[in-house]
Amino acid sequence: MPVRPLRTLAVAAVLALAGCATATTPAAEAAGRPRPGGALTWAVETEPITLNPHQYAQAKARLLVWNSFESLLTYDAQGRPVPWLATGWQTTPDGLTYTLPLRTGVTFTDGTPFDAAAVKANLDKLREPGYAPAVAAVQLRHLKTVEVVDPHTVRLTLTAPDVLILDFLASPQGAQVSPRSLREARNLKAGGVDVVGTGPFVLDRYVPGQELHYRRNPGYDWAPPTATHTGPAHLDEITYRFLKESAVRVGALTAQQVQLIEGVPATDQPLITGNPRLRLTRELNSGSAYTYYLNVSHAPFDDLRVRQAFREALDVDTVLASVYRDTATRAWSVVSPSSPLYDKRLEGSYGGDTAAANRLLDQAGWTGRDADGYRTRDGRRLTVRLVQAAPYVRDRRDVLAQAVQAAVKQSAGIDLKVSVVDQGTAQQAFDRNEYEVFDNSRADTDAGAALNLLLHSAGGINRTRVADPQLDRLLEAGQAATDPARRAESYAALQQRVVAGQALALPLYAPADQIAASTAVGGVRFEPTAGVPASAYDLWIAR
Amino acid sequence: MSLLRAVARRVAAGLVVLWAAATAAYLALLAAPGNTVDSIVGDGADTPQIRAQIVTEWGLDRPPVVQYLDYLWRLAGGDLGRSYLLQRPVAEVIGEQLAPTATLAVAAAGLGVLLAVVVAVGTTGRRRRWPRRVSSAAELLLVSTPPFLIGIVLLSVLSFRYGLFPVAGDQGPAALVLPTLTLALPIAGLLAQVLRDGLDRALDEPFVLTARARGVRERAVLLRHALRHALLPTVTLAGWLFGVLLGGAVVVEQVFGRPGLGQVTLSAVTSKDMPVVLAVVTLSAAVYVLVNTAADLTCLLVDPRLRRS
Repeated sequence: MPVRPLRTLAVAAVLALAGCATATTPAAEAAGRPRPGGALTWAVETEPITLNPHQYAQAKARLLVWNSFESLLTYDAQGRPVPWLATGWQTTPDGLTYTLPLRTGVTFTDGTPFDAAAVKANLDKLREPGYAPAVAAVQLRHLKTVEVVDPHTVRLTLTAPDVLILDFLASPQGAQVSPRSLREARNLKAGGVDVVGTGPFVLDRYVPGQELHYRRNPGYDWAPPTATHTGPAHLDEITYRFLKESAVRVGALTAQQVQLIEGVPATDQPLITGNPRLRLTRELNSGSAYTYYLNVSHAPFDDLRVRQAFREALDVDTVLASVYRDTATRAWSVVSPSSPLYDKRLEGSYGGDTAAANRLLDQAGWTGRDADGYRTRDGRRLTVRLVQAAPYVRDRRDVLAQAVQAAVKQSAGIDLKVSVVDQGTAQQAFDRNEYEVFDNSRADTDAGAALNLLLHSAGGINRTRVADPQLDRLLEAGQAATDPARRAESYAALQQRVVAGQALALPLYAPADQIAASTAVGGVRFEPTAGVPASAYDLWIAR
Repeated sequence: MSLLRAVARRVAAGLVVLWAAATAAYLALLAAPGNTVDSIVGDGADTPQIRAQIVTEWGLDRPPVVQYLDYLWRLAGGDLGRSYLLQRPVAEVIGEQLAPTATLAVAAAGLGVLLAVVVAVGTTGRRRRWPRRVSSAAELLLVSTPPFLIGIVLLSVLSFRYGLFPVAGDQGPAALVLPTLTLALPIAGLLAQVLRDGLDRALDEPFVLTARARGVRERAVLLRHALRHALLPTVTLAGWLFGVLLGGAVVVEQVFGRPGLGQVTLSAVTSKDMPVVLAVVTLSAAVYVLVNTAADLTCLLVDPRLRRS
């Protein structure tokens, strides 16, 4: 039982994390009881490329979407969909029909009433050619018809059972935009002050490159059950200032020029934790963990033993500690540990066994060594290439790659070639199959949506190039199963096969978001399940 | 009449430069790896259907030559096209970012030139060895320090530490101070060196001796006679100055969270947002032509010898 102590350790780590989470509660009371009024400035890292939620594509923009827009459903902390603008849903046993009764008395902030016709207008718009191709082709792939049953009931009919439709209804892309905006907005796809929703705030100013300004929607009275209060938002106004440099964000917070920031890199965290007037909170994102996917379509990773050797050659904990100073959470599976679909059994079940790595490589015939100390076979070096597209490198993943590079060279003589290139060059490497390692994490609220893209033989970013009928079956079963327990079973089997059995993927860490805030700010929360900073609805500022 | 012809020749040359710049940018983007569909798809979902839709929506199925001619035709008509990524007309994207960058650039250029003249004049002359050494060292330091670092240092000290100026945004004159300083200091550093060198050389000229012999005071010699000579090489640096301002704006706007063309350019280049990149290049070329023409005219104004030839 050599696995046992490790597993206990992992449990202890989880408990320690839970401890951290509760420890922040007393600090939250430093801001006193919620009070209405006041204005806040929040410095964020990313300026959204679009303000139209239907076109949403940046997890970092999610905290903005829910200020002025809302969806039919949302997620609770356990990852279950719960009512929001819809009061619930009924599914037929064949999983093909979803009937959603809608909340009454809801109005868009331009005065248009929210009803079944509005929902139909949104879904029809989403499927209009050229409007939102990604949503139409992936999330609404199985949607056949949308029917207005009565003014406050809508019925969706699918062509195949697909529980991910619930995830769509809880997603930013499924947010409800006023039908009037859909018809009349000047730049519908870019969004802006004339594209409105039903949310607790109204966007009234957008200065590109600088800031977004929201004011309270005084008539708001339909908060989701996951919020900590009801009625209108506490704050009168909130400004989101775009500050792309983390050092500038942290400086602005310590100088009290802003009250909240998000995106605090490991190196800056001591500045926050060492300041009694500031508070740091972090939460793991949903979706898929940051993982190295191994390309099985050609040598050397077409050999299972080499894939296992790569996995064993790396001591993930040591590498994470050196790059992130113990602020990163190790991932054991391709699914984020915060997801209800996460398979805990993988924890401590593999990795870091250098002797095994070398044995496996010897067996696979990589027995030679060249002058630089790398393994060779038939005179060819054991080289694997990792291509990173610069625009998508975050969390110092380029530095992490260098640490991995050094580790696998030292422990097993593997030559990991890392190149950080522009997006076009990266795309070219993927198209021409000139890579062996692909790194990725996805922030989908339902990990199943991420796994469909990454591991299905027809997936849009299946860069392992695996075509495994058993994986496809498990993914399809997971998408069709309406019973959560049966779904979890499918995805657990899938994770075992992908990570443990086939060593297709080497999970590294679970991406997290951080919020640093002045202790005068109350109600700082993360969105349940998604694990990204929540909207400004529950925020208040002490007098 | 000949003046009119000279101006016409300049305008024609300017148009050729514009066309060459627009074409070069177009070819460079065409030759860059990866295609436009990839950048529109980005990190999002990616299926053959999505790709086909994007191709038809943006007219990417037409041959590159047709796309190029179409682009030139629309450019001639003042239509800069639509941004793929931002889903907005390019003219609108650039138009709303033009003012903050122009304000910053004019303020920085003005301050840079002013500082350079004051420092150079103040430290030229035989009895000013120590001020001169100190300012030379400071100039060298400023010229060789990346603007990014200057910006962060200014922010940490003057904004975060002493709270004299707000950190970010385009919120009135106070917020303009630090970004302007960041951009102006390296400019002042280089201009001051060039200017002082010019002054030194002018002071060795016989006409200075004549002036001094006439009993003109040293200050007047410096300002009325030597400075005029020394200005010529400085004015010809205007083109360089414009390049520094544009490049510096990218960094400064990023550090200070200011809106502006720099940010637009940066994000358009990294995401291969062709219409925006092309528009920025064409616009820069246009301003460059304007600045250089203005510099030539200024030279005529400063140096009467040039007017005769």
